[in-house]
Amino acid sequence: MVSHNHTNATVRPKGLSDKKKTALAGYLFISPFFLLFAIFGAFPMLFSFYLAFQKWNGFGEMTFVGVKNFSLIFTDPLFWKSIYNTIVIGLLGTGPQLIAALILAVALNSAMVKFKSVFRVAYFVPNVTSIVAVAIVFTVLFSEQEAGLVNATLGLFGISPVSWQTSEWGAKIAIATMIFWRWVGYNSIIFLAGLQSIPKDLYEAAEIDGAKKWQQFLFITVPMLKPIIVFVVFTATIGSLQIFAEPLIFGSGFREESMTIVLYLWREAFSNNAFGTASATAVSLFLLIIVFTTINFFASNRLDKSGK
Amino acid sequence: MMKKRALMLLLAVVFMFATACSNQSQSDNESKDKGSSEKVKLNMWVFGSTGYEKLAEEYMKNNPNVEIKIQSTQFDDHHNALFTALSAGSGAPDIAMIEVNNIERYREAQDRFYNLYDFGAKDIKDKYLDWKWRIGESADGSFLFGLPTDIGPTAMFYRADVFEAAGLPTDPAEVAKLIPDWNAYAEVAATIKEKTGKPIADNVELVYNALRDQAPVQYFNEKEELLIEKEPYIKQAYDYTVSLIQKGYLGSNGLWTPEWGNAMEKGSYATLLAPAWMQGVVKGNAPNSAGKWLITNMPGGAGNWGGSYLTIPKESKHPQEAYDFIQWLVAPEQQLKSFKDMGLFPSAPSVYEAPEFKDYKDEYFGGVNTAQVFAEAAQKVKTVYMGKNYGLVQGEIIKALTNVQKKKADPEKEWEEAIKRIKRQLERQ
Repeated sequence: MVSHNHTNATVRPKGLSDKKKTALAGYLFISPFFLLFAIFGAFPMLFSFYLAFQKWNGFGEMTFVGVKNFSLIFTDPLFWKSIYNTIVIGLLGTGPQLIAALILAVALNSAMVKFKSVFRVAYFVPNVTSIVAVAIVFTVLFSEQEAGLVNATLGLFGISPVSWQTSEWGAKIAIATMIFWRWVGYNSIIFLAGLQSIPKDLYEAAEIDGAKKWQQFLFITVPMLKPIIVFVVFTATIGSLQIFAEPLIFGSGFREESMTIVLYLWREAFSNNAFGTASATAVSLFLLIIVFTTINFFASNRLDKSGK
Repeated sequence: MMKKRALMLLLAVVFMFATACSNQSQSDNESKDKGSSEKVKLNMWVFGSTGYEKLAEEYMKNNPNVEIKIQSTQFDDHHNALFTALSAGSGAPDIAMIEVNNIERYREAQDRFYNLYDFGAKDIKDKYLDWKWRIGESADGSFLFGLPTDIGPTAMFYRADVFEAAGLPTDPAEVAKLIPDWNAYAEVAATIKEKTGKPIADNVELVYNALRDQAPVQYFNEKEELLIEKEPYIKQAYDYTVSLIQKGYLGSNGLWTPEWGNAMEKGSYATLLAPAWMQGVVKGNAPNSAGKWLITNMPGGAGNWGGSYLTIPKESKHPQEAYDFIQWLVAPEQQLKSFKDMGLFPSAPSVYEAPEFKDYKDEYFGGVNTAQVFAEAAQKVKTVYMGKNYGLVQGEIIKALTNVQKKKADPEKEWEEAIKRIKRQLERQ
């Protein structure tokens, strides 16, 4: 040990106290993250703010155009339609999903279920499946033809075939179903973690007092899970504002029924080479996410207070 | 103790960086030393199955001073990666293959490529089909982006069994006589619908594309002005497709969907208006339909769909060596090899005279000399300027046609909406 220190002494920066050296070592250890983040995170973000006020085709000169990019997208009905679509698909995809996830988690947590770890893995598998593969399989399931699996199943109940890819609600329901399938397991695992941290004696006490199962659920489980619920709602909101791969693969060719904000952005940039309006869309999305998160934040704060 | 360990780790990290850096500089020196006397390394990016690896081997044998590394990626990934590399100004290969529709994206990025006319490409111009060569040039013809590789001349694939069931002739020559133009195509569509209940084509897009490709001008002129309102051709193609849709002559399977592929095997429609490379797609989707699919001339003329160019991005340090290689690679002799090995359809018409080409027969397609049908088509293709926003306009028109078919929307209103959407997007560029 001593000899090591001795031989390396020449490499040491001179004139630094031990305390500073430790600090320096610490910073060096965490620097990979910050370097990578600066290159792949911070720089692109700042650059897209800059680009939002420029006209650029990916090559050549950028020209400053002021707020023209914003006025172009704000006067485009498709932009507003894409925001509407994003919110509708988000609500359809996450609302029922969170409720289902909670129910699944409670079921999984109850003593009655056998093979718990098998279920846990099974729930999680959709989330780690390649999103592109999922979208392709769902495209086949939600085929517009009468023989498509979903249409054929509906046919058994006497429902006429739906144009899943080209009708207003068909496209949204199909995409929301994809989101539901992909995330319900993930969220129920998170709920499950929350459930397991609730002390058993609360339930025992309630049982002695004669509370029924549903009462226990409503007055013990849900209030105790509040922080988890808030977390899940937050991430689901942000996630659903960024829906992209599903409509890209599912909807055929940027159709308006399945156009989400990120897909709109992507079309501007990588299909039309209009990086200015694409960045303006990104900035608008950023502001929109801030608005939604703020609403979420205040709502959950109030929920917290009323809970106490 | 903790402090010491932290310091040790820090030193270890520093040491690793130091050695990594010194290795780097060492190998740099090495390659510099060798560079002058030894091999020139060329990186080449291609997509799909070109079989160019084999040809590159052959070239390297005869030119030991050149080492070619070919990287083949999937179509979309290839073009996106190339766009990013060219836009960023680093990471592009010495030779890049670009598909004909994608080359339009680079119209404004001439400065990212070498002008192949500077390497004497004028001398080989006459070896290639004129329309194909023109697309590889800038609008004013002074700049050449790439040398032509393969092309996708179009013809009419048809199901002999469906034609027979409808009481129509099935021999390719007779079918060509039966359907010389688009009026006849609509009449045959009516007969087939009446006798068999099947649509004439499975998809709106291919019928519309076939008509579009026969127009003397398409979406834009050389000044990038939108023509579809001034010139009648595209509207005519649209109206014709609409009329077939409204009479129920067209199927509604989306291109490339599994249903679309299945329909090829089942023979649930009569004709497929498609390019030469679709032969492979048909064989893949309908392995048990040998002899049922036949090929004859496209009604009303011919068109082109697909095919590529080989370009040399400006970042290349060895443009001369790269040019020498690609000039060899696309020469008629090599195009014949690519045709025989991988089915890439040659863009050099002298190949069409080769005996292997003249006596070509495809048993799958009923022993028809498919090569000759497509060669004839290739020589009929019209020179057309596509324009950098070609894909955008195409997408919106197909959207309008889909709405007419799926939502029973009013075609005139859909046309106007499509034009509005197109203009809105054009404004942004």
